[in-house]
Amino acid sequence: VPWNWMHGRAGAKRLAPTSASREQLHAREGGVAIPHLVPLPLLGRSHRRETTASAAMAAAAAAAEPKTKYDRQLRIWGDQGQAALEKASICLLNCGPTGTEALKNLVLGGIGSVTVVDGSKVEQSDLGNNFLLDEGCLGQSRAKSICSFLQELNDAVKAKYVEESPATMIDTNPSFFSQFTVVLATQLPESSLLKLDSICRSANIVLVAARSYGLTGLVRVSIKEHCVIESKPDHSLDDLRLHNPWPELKQFAKSIDICDKDPVVHKHTPYIVILVRLAEKWADAHDGQLPSTRQEKREFKDLIRAHMLNVDEDNYKEAVESSYKVSVTPGISDEIRQIIDDSSSEVNFSSSDFWVLVASLKEFIANEGNGELPLEGTIPDMTSLTE
Amino acid sequence: PSRAAKVLMVGAGGIGCELLKTLALSGFSDIHVIDLDTIEVSNLNRQFLFRKSHVGQSKAHVARDAILKFRPNINIESHHANVKDAQFNVDFFKQFNVVLNGLDNLDARRHVNRLCLAAEVPLVESGTTGFLGQVTVHVKGKTECYECQPKPIPKSYPVCTITSTPSKFVHCIVWAKELLFAKLFGDKNQDNDLNVHSKDGSSSKLDVFERDVDEDLDQYAQRIYDHVFGYNIEVALENEETWKNRRRPNPVYIRDTLPEAVKQNGSSWDCSNDHEEPSAMASLGLTNPQEIWTLAENSRVLLEAFKLFFEKREKEIGNLVFDKDDQLAVEFVTAAANIRAHSFGIPLHSLFEAKGVAGNIVHAVATTNAIIAGLIVIEAIKVLQDDYKNYRMTYCLEHPTKKLLLMPVEPFEPNPSCYVCSETPLLLDVNTKVTKLKEVIDKIIKSKLGMNLPLVMIGSTLVFEDGDGLEEDEAANYALNLEKVLAELPAPVINGTKLTVEDFQQELSCSINIKHREEFDEEKEPDGMVLSGWSAPVEKQINSNGENKSAASSSSARATDDTVEDPSKPGMKRKLDELLETKENCDASSSAQVVEDDDDCTMLDGNPALIKKKRLQ
Repeated sequence: VPWNWMHGRAGAKRLAPTSASREQLHAREGGVAIPHLVPLPLLGRSHRRETTASAAMAAAAAAAEPKTKYDRQLRIWGDQGQAALEKASICLLNCGPTGTEALKNLVLGGIGSVTVVDGSKVEQSDLGNNFLLDEGCLGQSRAKSICSFLQELNDAVKAKYVEESPATMIDTNPSFFSQFTVVLATQLPESSLLKLDSICRSANIVLVAARSYGLTGLVRVSIKEHCVIESKPDHSLDDLRLHNPWPELKQFAKSIDICDKDPVVHKHTPYIVILVRLAEKWADAHDGQLPSTRQEKREFKDLIRAHMLNVDEDNYKEAVESSYKVSVTPGISDEIRQIIDDSSSEVNFSSSDFWVLVASLKEFIANEGNGELPLEGTIPDMTSLTE
Repeated sequence: PSRAAKVLMVGAGGIGCELLKTLALSGFSDIHVIDLDTIEVSNLNRQFLFRKSHVGQSKAHVARDAILKFRPNINIESHHANVKDAQFNVDFFKQFNVVLNGLDNLDARRHVNRLCLAAEVPLVESGTTGFLGQVTVHVKGKTECYECQPKPIPKSYPVCTITSTPSKFVHCIVWAKELLFAKLFGDKNQDNDLNVHSKDGSSSKLDVFERDVDEDLDQYAQRIYDHVFGYNIEVALENEETWKNRRRPNPVYIRDTLPEAVKQNGSSWDCSNDHEEPSAMASLGLTNPQEIWTLAENSRVLLEAFKLFFEKREKEIGNLVFDKDDQLAVEFVTAAANIRAHSFGIPLHSLFEAKGVAGNIVHAVATTNAIIAGLIVIEAIKVLQDDYKNYRMTYCLEHPTKKLLLMPVEPFEPNPSCYVCSETPLLLDVNTKVTKLKEVIDKIIKSKLGMNLPLVMIGSTLVFEDGDGLEEDEAANYALNLEKVLAELPAPVINGTKLTVEDFQQELSCSINIKHREEFDEEKEPDGMVLSGWSAPVEKQINSNGENKSAASSSSARATDDTVEDPSKPGMKRKLDELLETKENCDASSSAQVVEDDDDCTMLDGNPALIKKKRLQ
């Protein structure tokens, strides 16, 4: 089906304003049905035309792809981020203003589902500080009222509720929480939080605890472990193992005459090749060692410069700039050592993808890698001939 | 203080919805809201007072109605209008105790700033972009006004970069949007830099873009394709000097990219019916806007979109302006930009990404707006209590700096050389013999100085006035003056002449001293004139050794050409490649982050870690 915010005209009949469903809710409850539809004054033909046009737009919009609705946030976290949001299920304990505000943001963003646990009824004092409640909700379950409004904000989200006090839930039914991705606990006393924290930890669920008091508040996140694979890091290191080139690179470098007299060829020799060849030359003259002290690194740079035929040879300038890459210490860094030595790298069927990857990395390093990480495989820009 | 206060909110969008909610919950009961916009689907991920059923309706009115549902007893007046309208004059502003901005463009912000200064009403400004946001307080006489520090002006590119030597995708987008699209579908009377001469001088046509009588649509489309992507590139390649140090572009011809199209005529798989919005993607069965199309696919989309405009939207041709919500226009521009990018060895982009660049789309999320709205109300309460020692500029950062995610900074004293709040004369370098008054008014007075309805005087001679209520002969006289070069105006403008420029509504008056100069650098000074004399305060910088370094930031408005905002690609940290040329205005947050490099610059306003200026006493 073609992507087009206008597609699905067939489904455009869905014009029923969501406020109407609210009216039904009240009718069922036996409460007073307050008209939520603000009456539009009829101002004559031109106004009617305007309403028809916007009604048509609304119809099209109602049938629009969710991608259009989420466009602005997709530009922050992309499809993957959005998918993660849509897979997640949140449990909110206590739907006072703090919890409601938090849920509002999650629901707008398209969270998979929210479940509100709150045992209280809507009181007069709630009306003053919670924008999701109005007079029609007085006396009803606060959780239920909040959920119905949240549902209006985004009908793609599943909004459920349990009329139960969070403290009771924590004490009597801890396994309730294992179905969730995140538990958001607001305005809970410390005793409940401590119990909840150990429940969440053992089930590997994220716990976010929040309290607000007047103009101050606190948010605290409790997670057992959070693994991040940064696939697009800010600083990418072009690692071409210049200190220990792999066989094909060595051969390629050998096949090029870096002292070719032709000035065009000379100034287009890729700097990688220059470095590989000169590093080898250096090592031959220094007992197999590569430049390591500051003095040696400077001398190595001079060696490179000595091979320049001309002042404007960009490739040689690149070589000088990147000459430090030849002096990289072999082997893996301490941070990586820490990760692969972690006990979680002994994987089993319940291990996360992250740790399975780490386990394979560990094996690679011990075998094919010969103590080094796999080559990243990206080739940096460099001055060269097209071939 | 909140109960008695009368508050004006400008903007009922991302920040506005959250702000209106917070104001209502905080006890404010007398609120005016101005917003000219209507609700769109893409608003619904954060502007929570709106529903799908409201799409197309006025934001100001719907927001008001939504708030009244849970706070029926407060007073909200909503105006579906442009804050720059004449009705919102100084007297209108004077009725408020504080003005709160939730705008998304620099132009309106400057206008409101001037009115607040004129009416002597405190202003709480704000902005957000993705996870970044800020709130600033501006009180006449006590703090800087919004314009005391130069704000980044929307990025513009040198003409030659766009027409001949693009090196970034955004350059291709600008070409596709402002040149090709405009040439084919926009106002024919507008100047356009595309090469209109055809290959064979024998053609009787002056403009190769014109369709021949009875020319087959397919043929027309392919002819244009070959002209802009093939012939024009060949012409450009003839100039060896241009390509001495640059990668040479490859001409692209339809016979190479779509050999089968040349043979067939008019047979596209057309499954659109007359009631649906025409879409090249739909016709071609391309369904994923995030997919990067091949050169062939881009070519097909281009030809198909081209044809659909002529087949289904003929009436609009000649009047079209690019609109990011116009699906077909976005498809056309994406495809055209991609083919050009291919020629020049620039990476191709998906429709989703191209749309973001072409439409200056700013990424946005509900949470940042909620935070900023809360901060706005806190500052508003301080302002109402005259608690000036505690006014703060607060910056909401993406990553904690010094362990703070919300960084408060004391406001600075007014800039004594700010031309808006402290009446400093400005200097304009311009060639008075060739520059028309019209150019000065458009590029400097309206654009850089942000005046809406300016008045220009030379000594006691009024050479130009803008607005309604002009006599016919006056208006005719001004129209004539617009077309005259400065040196030939009724009161001639030459080296040393002083212009007085005023905007009554904004109650702003400026002097501009003219300095005649013959030559201007095409790349660095594309406007052909340079405004200076307005200096930002001297910034004292503490470097890591603890030494004090003074870094006077550069004086001209031109210096702000180095700053841009940057939208981000989905899932990626912002790539500074994605720059925007924008005829509209800046991003929602009028600050961004300083980096280096020719045109990859953005600026963090008043970075508290770097700047120590005179604090508010």
